[in-house]
Amino acid sequence: MNDGMKADQLTVMLTGRIDSNNAGQVEKDILAQIEGKKLSSVILDASGLDYISSAGLRILLRIRKIIPDMAITDVSSDVYEILEMTGFTEMMRVEKAYRVVSVEGCEEIGRGANGTIYRIDQDNVVKVYNNADALADIQHEREVARLALILGIPTAISYDVVKVGNSYGSVFELLNASSFSKILAENPEKMDWCVKEYVDMLNRIHQTVVPAGKLPDVKETVVGWAEFMKDYLPVEAANKLMALVQSVPHDDHMIHGDYHTKNLELQNDEVLLIDMDTLAVGHPIFELASMYNAFIGYSEVNHENVLHFQGFDFDTAWKFWRKTLAAYLGTHCEKKLEEVENKARVVGYTRMIRRSIRRKGLEREDSRAEIEYWKKELLDLLEKTDTLLFNKNELQIEAVRENLEDVQSFVEEHLDRAGCSPKAGMQIGLAVEEIFINIANYAYAPGKGNAVVRVEVSEDPVIVTITFIDHGVPYDPLAKKDPDVTLAAEDRQIGGLGIFLAKKTMDDLSYEYRDGQNILRLKKNL
Amino acid sequence: MIDVRNVDLHMHTTVSDGTDQPEEIIGKVKNAGISLFAVTDHDDVKGCTRILEIRRPEDPAFITGVEFSCKDEEGQYHILGYHYDPESEAIRDVVKNGHRLRMKKVTSRLDFLKDEFGFTFPQEEIDHLLSLDNPGKPHIGNLMVKYGYTKTKEEAIKEYINRIHFRSEYVRPEDAIRGILGAGGIPVLAHPTYGSGDQLILGEEMEHRVLKLIGYGLQGLEIYYSGFTARIRKGLFKLADQYQLYVTAGSDYHGGNKLIELGETGLKDETEPVEGFYRFLKEVGYTGGEL
Repeated sequence: MNDGMKADQLTVMLTGRIDSNNAGQVEKDILAQIEGKKLSSVILDASGLDYISSAGLRILLRIRKIIPDMAITDVSSDVYEILEMTGFTEMMRVEKAYRVVSVEGCEEIGRGANGTIYRIDQDNVVKVYNNADALADIQHEREVARLALILGIPTAISYDVVKVGNSYGSVFELLNASSFSKILAENPEKMDWCVKEYVDMLNRIHQTVVPAGKLPDVKETVVGWAEFMKDYLPVEAANKLMALVQSVPHDDHMIHGDYHTKNLELQNDEVLLIDMDTLAVGHPIFELASMYNAFIGYSEVNHENVLHFQGFDFDTAWKFWRKTLAAYLGTHCEKKLEEVENKARVVGYTRMIRRSIRRKGLEREDSRAEIEYWKKELLDLLEKTDTLLFNKNELQIEAVRENLEDVQSFVEEHLDRAGCSPKAGMQIGLAVEEIFINIANYAYAPGKGNAVVRVEVSEDPVIVTITFIDHGVPYDPLAKKDPDVTLAAEDRQIGGLGIFLAKKTMDDLSYEYRDGQNILRLKKNL
Repeated sequence: MIDVRNVDLHMHTTVSDGTDQPEEIIGKVKNAGISLFAVTDHDDVKGCTRILEIRRPEDPAFITGVEFSCKDEEGQYHILGYHYDPESEAIRDVVKNGHRLRMKKVTSRLDFLKDEFGFTFPQEEIDHLLSLDNPGKPHIGNLMVKYGYTKTKEEAIKEYINRIHFRSEYVRPEDAIRGILGAGGIPVLAHPTYGSGDQLILGEEMEHRVLKLIGYGLQGLEIYYSGFTARIRKGLFKLADQYQLYVTAGSDYHGGNKLIELGETGLKDETEPVEGFYRFLKEVGYTGGEL
């Protein structure tokens, strides 16, 4: 019997046969090692165990009575069968012995947060976990992959667990598959097709409602990152970061957590999502943050990183990210893209800084440069960010005259999709201009601030509702007396005509001041 | 109200291979909070007669018990007998027969050691050995060490005594069951899944065994047992229910072997014992708990 000690965990080797002939001795040997020691757990390594009889089973029960945290590992299938039939697998942790697989010389086809994926033969890949608690992670990933499949997300489910070196891996069947990274690297002309498929899958994930309690909440993880940052950011900034994260409401929709192009596979015309161990529920901003990092954030200081990681260059990564974001948000409005991207960067940089500090420390030259860059960007962003929430039909934008054009084009995109007539479009455009310029001129004067423009289109009847929200001084543009249009043009008051026109052409126009916000709403039946 | 789950009907004293004297075990049973107990020494009823003599009215309730080691062509069995009359000829005959066979085995072993290896012992040692209630391999091993044939008892058993291959004779299960019934007792199959202690008998094999023993007069199964998992109990409950057998509870406490404690039967894992267990308690007249 050979024993290993690791802190307060004891490993005991079980060998040969344990039956009534030697059970007494085996028990004495094990007890001699356990007694008098303050052990928190004991592991019975059964790699050399050929057979166990009921006398041996009783020893297991007795050891477990002394040290409840007991596990039997590397159990052969014969012994496992005995333990399963007698219900011991339900009473204690029993881990099977695993087939040994080598990945030496195998093509690396994917890399995730917790492991690396290798192709071991034409039909099979193995994901090798790089952490000590691999078996628990493998079990977790199997469970969540199964859950995802049930909920309608196409994914590969591992069919076997194997031993790879000192770690473990799970084996998947992946025939003739090619990752989206590989497609983008080898066939840049397929960029638009990749974007479409990639965004379709992203929407599918984000539209999936997950039953309560089945997946972890990503917000809790991000709160942990924000907590970490308290030691590295000025108090005010750190508090703001925490407040921004905390105010993201719970969301029971699925997010992948590590959604980049190495984790999307094309297998015989079918797109499959892989690397499911980070599956969670939460607000999509957290997903966009990890996507930003995968394509941009990680390589922002050193553009070579993305080439090394994804196999395509920074320029391709940048284009792919922007096209993806535009398709996901359903807009080409630069300001809208920037708005959401900036929110993603807040969370993204937080993660990158923490990751770099934890992995490399603050001492190394290269990591210090990166961390300084991310930190500066993060501090800038925190100053101008009020919320991490975003809405696809909502534009959060600085309320300045120069942004009018962006607001107009954002609204127009929505109107076009709703099949708005040119005339109604022009009328709405005029109203939007009048209201936005009002906010730009008066809401924050002489300072600056943000405004929200939300466009909602109802079906049957088709009504477009546009809401403007600002945090400026209370101001009701509708209360202004209508201009006397009977007067000659040169005698009229300056301004106010736009609002007058809007009142005439819109079907409804309302104002309220609530919770420190000016809320102005216009409606038009199309 | 007494918790019927504080029942332990399977324990050994120094009359067989336990380490507590019958006099000691009563106090231990009491301290363990057990309200009904039975002493079940291997192939002997002496412990029970002793306890009946010395037990005081304030001690936990007691019923007689015994555990016969049995064997037939199909395997080995431990048959428990409960609530029998220890003075009855029927049970005394089984005990005597068992003792005779055991003595025969000791004699065969001694003969073998003499013929095969030339190990001999003074006659008074042999007489002493044969006067013991339950002499076995360890006793012979000790003698071999004492007379310098081996260094340790373990070596004696492994290298010499275990080389003896003779057809050892045991009490047959039908004879044990007949004896228990003849003494007014209840025959119960001990730790069914573990056979005579070290097998794993499951599924059809288990059912076949139980059916055969029912044919001889078996009335119960020891399903609440220290070494059983919930899964094992579940399978046996089904059998007990199907054939309307009593269900009993026992720890198989052996004293100095501290790892099985008195009262450790698995009964406490369940909120409500099965109906066959209540029927057994009623049958032996135990009214301490809810019936």
